Amino acid sequence: MEEILFGIGISALAGALATVAGAAEDTESDIGSQGDPNSQVQLAPQMGYVHRIYNKAVSGEPPAYGLWVALAAGVAWALMAIQFNAILALVIGSAVAVFVQGVYATTAYLGRTASLAKFEQPVYIDILKSVTSVTMAHAFVAIFATVTMCFLMIEALGHPFPLPLMGIVWGIALGAAGSATGNPFYGKERQYQKYPFGAGLPISASGDIVRYAEAGQRSSIDNGWFTSKGAGPASGICFGLIVFFELWRTILFEPFAAGWGAVIAGVVLIIVFMVIDRYVETWARKTYGPYTEEAAPEEEAAA
Amino acid sequence: MSALGGGSSGGEGINPTASLIALVIVLVAVAVVFLVYPAATVPLIGVIIGGVLISFGVHFVPVGGAPAAMGQAPGIATGVAMLAAGGGLAGLFGGAWAAEFGIAISLAAGAIGGGLLMAITCLMVNVVYVYAMGIPAASGKVDKDPITGDTFPAYKSQGTEGHGLPFISYVGGVLGGLFGGMGGTLIYYELLQVYEEALPSVIGASTEGLTTLAVSLAGIFAVGMFLVAAVLTAYNITGTIEGPHDPKFKRWPRAVIGSSAASAVCGLFAILLVVI
Repeated sequence: MEEILFGIGISALAGALATVAGAAEDTESDIGSQGDPNSQVQLAPQMGYVHRIYNKAVSGEPPAYGLWVALAAGVAWALMAIQFNAILALVIGSAVAVFVQGVYATTAYLGRTASLAKFEQPVYIDILKSVTSVTMAHAFVAIFATVTMCFLMIEALGHPFPLPLMGIVWGIALGAAGSATGNPFYGKERQYQKYPFGAGLPISASGDIVRYAEAGQRSSIDNGWFTSKGAGPASGICFGLIVFFELWRTILFEPFAAGWGAVIAGVVLIIVFMVIDRYVETWARKTYGPYTEEAAPEEEAAA
Repeated sequence: MSALGGGSSGGEGINPTASLIALVIVLVAVAVVFLVYPAATVPLIGVIIGGVLISFGVHFVPVGGAPAAMGQAPGIATGVAMLAAGGGLAGLFGGAWAAEFGIAISLAAGAIGGGLLMAITCLMVNVVYVYAMGIPAASGKVDKDPITGDTFPAYKSQGTEGHGLPFISYVGGVLGGLFGGMGGTLIYYELLQVYEEALPSVIGASTEGLTTLAVSLAGIFAVGMFLVAAVLTAYNITGTIEGPHDPKFKRWPRAVIGSSAASAVCGLFAILLVVI
């Protein structure tokens, strides 16, 4: 009993760390335009809209975070092998990974922006100085929280993977969850804020991103401020739920039915999430209604 | 036609010569393992089946790429291979954890791990679309959801191909996670069996250290082979796919044939690494 309580406590702690990691990851990627909306940041100067938005998308979020988290985990693992204190090792590992992230961000911004020279897009050195450190700070939070979570899974819950491998697995999952959940909010709601709320962006409007703020030109740090109110927390909840339920169902239900208990609990959880999704989908259809008149009376097909 | 104006390249058909070459590669890989280390023949076949499962599963995952991030096309706004990798590796985490219970539970745990990640991610995608952006789900490829019967043309906003995740895409995402998680776990499990058996005679060290080495090697090969199969499939899909109702879904046999050859070669190297 005590062991199960301990396990659930660790699951909750890991879930909380994952929530922080998800929120920080998405905010970091939105400040740096690393997710899919980077296509618009790259496209805008080609359509004649010169801007001051940071763009470090030379890699998708999942492989980038796979690299950084695995790097932090690898350094921490090596330091722990020579008897470093675990927390110190995790902090040093994350710091080393963040320096790599900083080098990556700098070269990516210079490279991507310099490639737009023939469209008269300047490389702004002040942006490089001010925004890079902000993305590094957010990346540190995301990487440290994820590596600590991986460490807990191994040391406290007894997962067989070594720390660096665990770092790759959860780093990629973190990037996948963060980019999937956070990208539409940053892409549609922020980059195309001047277009009507409650509709997708017409394809013909591509590239016409918002470039001006209340005073002066829009900075990428403002994008982090905006998305940290919507996409960041949503990504955090997404990754937190994934980690928590993955651990919770295993810790609590694995002893039942010779291991099948955790599988059955997982199936039940998937069905519950499916029902919630269907509710959200029908709620949107009923509340918002169609954009145009339906061509023919809607046939009620069996659900 | 995709949202960015590019045509969907690549035909639907299967190239007989290429398929034959793939089959030969698979047979040669199996034959080499059978001659060098017969005990690893069945695990290699397991690895190939794992690659096939991953490749088949990736076709189910609704991926909208960059257009989805602006609400211009349905699906999840990220890359095909990356999203599938996220789901599959979360499955691998669960499957590896349950490896001590035997292959059936390990595979089931891997499948559920991948499915659960996709179920939560797809739900949060729809939550963001509906509650943060005020956009209902609408498919661009079909007029009616094959499962729920919801109609889509009136719910598509002007100038877009659709947006969000209709229920059929949601189910596709979960199925993709299930197949991917199971495939990744199968590769891990089979390689682990080979390594645990072969490593003591090759290295001759204590069993405690060897278990960590076997788990690490099997894990990193499973991650690598997962990415091989997923990226190969992403090339077959060319860009975006909405899920099982998308016409591109019919291309899966090509990716499955390609992935079986790629997994066979990767598996061959993974096994030769310890037996030679």
